[in-house]
Amino acid sequence: MNPTLVVLLYSSLSAGTAVLGVGPFLFNRTLPVERIGWANALAAGMMLGAAYVLLVAGLSPSHSVVPIAAGTVLGIGFVWWTHAAAGTEELSLNRLDDPGPTYGYQVLLANSLHSASEGIAIGTAMALSLPFGIFVALAIAAHNVPEATVLCAILTGRRVSVANAAGLAVASNVGQILLAIVTFAIVDAAPAVLPWALGFAVGALIQLVMVELLPESYRQAGHRTIALVAIVAMGFVVLLSTFAP
Amino acid sequence: MTATPLGVFLAALVTALATGLGALPFIFLRRISPVAVASANAIAGGLMLGASFGIVAESTQYGAWQTLAGALLGVLFIVGTQRLIGDREVSFGAVRGADARQMVLIVLVMTVHSFAEGVAVGVSFGGGAALALMITLAISVHNIPEGLAISAVLRPRGVGILACAGWSIFSSLPQPLMAVPAFLFVETFRKALPYGLGFAAGAMVFMVLEELLPEAYDRAPRPLVALQVSLTLVGMVLFQQFL
Repeated sequence: MNPTLVVLLYSSLSAGTAVLGVGPFLFNRTLPVERIGWANALAAGMMLGAAYVLLVAGLSPSHSVVPIAAGTVLGIGFVWWTHAAAGTEELSLNRLDDPGPTYGYQVLLANSLHSASEGIAIGTAMALSLPFGIFVALAIAAHNVPEATVLCAILTGRRVSVANAAGLAVASNVGQILLAIVTFAIVDAAPAVLPWALGFAVGALIQLVMVELLPESYRQAGHRTIALVAIVAMGFVVLLSTFAP
Repeated sequence: MTATPLGVFLAALVTALATGLGALPFIFLRRISPVAVASANAIAGGLMLGASFGIVAESTQYGAWQTLAGALLGVLFIVGTQRLIGDREVSFGAVRGADARQMVLIVLVMTVHSFAEGVAVGVSFGGGAALALMITLAISVHNIPEGLAISAVLRPRGVGILACAGWSIFSSLPQPLMAVPAFLFVETFRKALPYGLGFAAGAMVFMVLEELLPEAYDRAPRPLVALQVSLTLVGMVLFQQFL
């Protein structure tokens, strides 16, 4: 298959799995706040695992460290800046009681920007090698499920229908398809960009975990529960990566 | 020059002493605001996560399942220790309560993790004596941020600078102790290595996730904490690449 098609296929799959996040709402109208914390911690652990896998893969063929380091600073800075610019740095990603329209838009915006960084991660991993890229895309796909559950909890709480919530969850993730393909194409054309893109993706993923996913989850469920869920999710991704090509 | 057990011990002792240097940046830290404690927690958390990334990357090369088993034990170890000290009134110097529990935990976690690192040092000495000086130097430099992590937790809670350096060095003392038997019985210890390294990583990551990060988020603005964790995490991983 054409490599670009592989990228398209798997990044679409990764965006599409967000639809599964609606699962819990087919049976219940609402989800206990504690479960939402679990979902956030699951997403956080998997994303931290993906960042680890990318970073280790990038370092092992001895790409020079300096552009990777510079890339991570850019990635961390990008996430920090987009939150600061959008006024969403303290945005709680699971407030179920806010009826204001601003909050709804902010949540969708934050989710869309979040998925952009995931797209860069997938595109870079694909450029390293297609099988490795497929592994990272699948890890992000799995991560997108609990993430979409959190989003659906907010949306259905705002009287959005379950079907529309599922649609919006996928829609907020389509950015990653575009960015995966663009990143892949650029790195393919100019391999010197690879360590920069890799660093950017790693930095952005870690910063997303630290600023969006973890902080709120601690308030939704106990510290120990969150730490356990996150470390198990992370360990799972890391373990699977050792069997990945 | 071939490495002797005494040489390995002395080299590992030097690396342990280097850990004390991690206290240096805290000489001038006096004012103890909640934000300072949060920052220190975030930096310690980032350093420990970064160190764990490096440890896992090395350990999985020896065996992924063994690493996982070790990590599970590491998590259980922290949970068990917390249960043990959660029941009684802990004090660390003049400090009591939740702060003291965290101080005890970080010294304990870093000390226990040094056992695994000592084994790694001993095994790598067994690999080739020509590299001995390089390894000693590399591990010494690698230990400084670990002293930094410990001091970052102890210092803002009122521990003196010399005591910070002392506890940092204490946490690394298992390195010379473990390096010698690991060097003498390389083959046996090589098999145990992924378990030990996995244990160290599991304990450190779990402690960061359960103790250091939530408290940091409680005491300081979220973007500040996130920025500090992320930067120190990648900084630590990339820094290790130069060693």
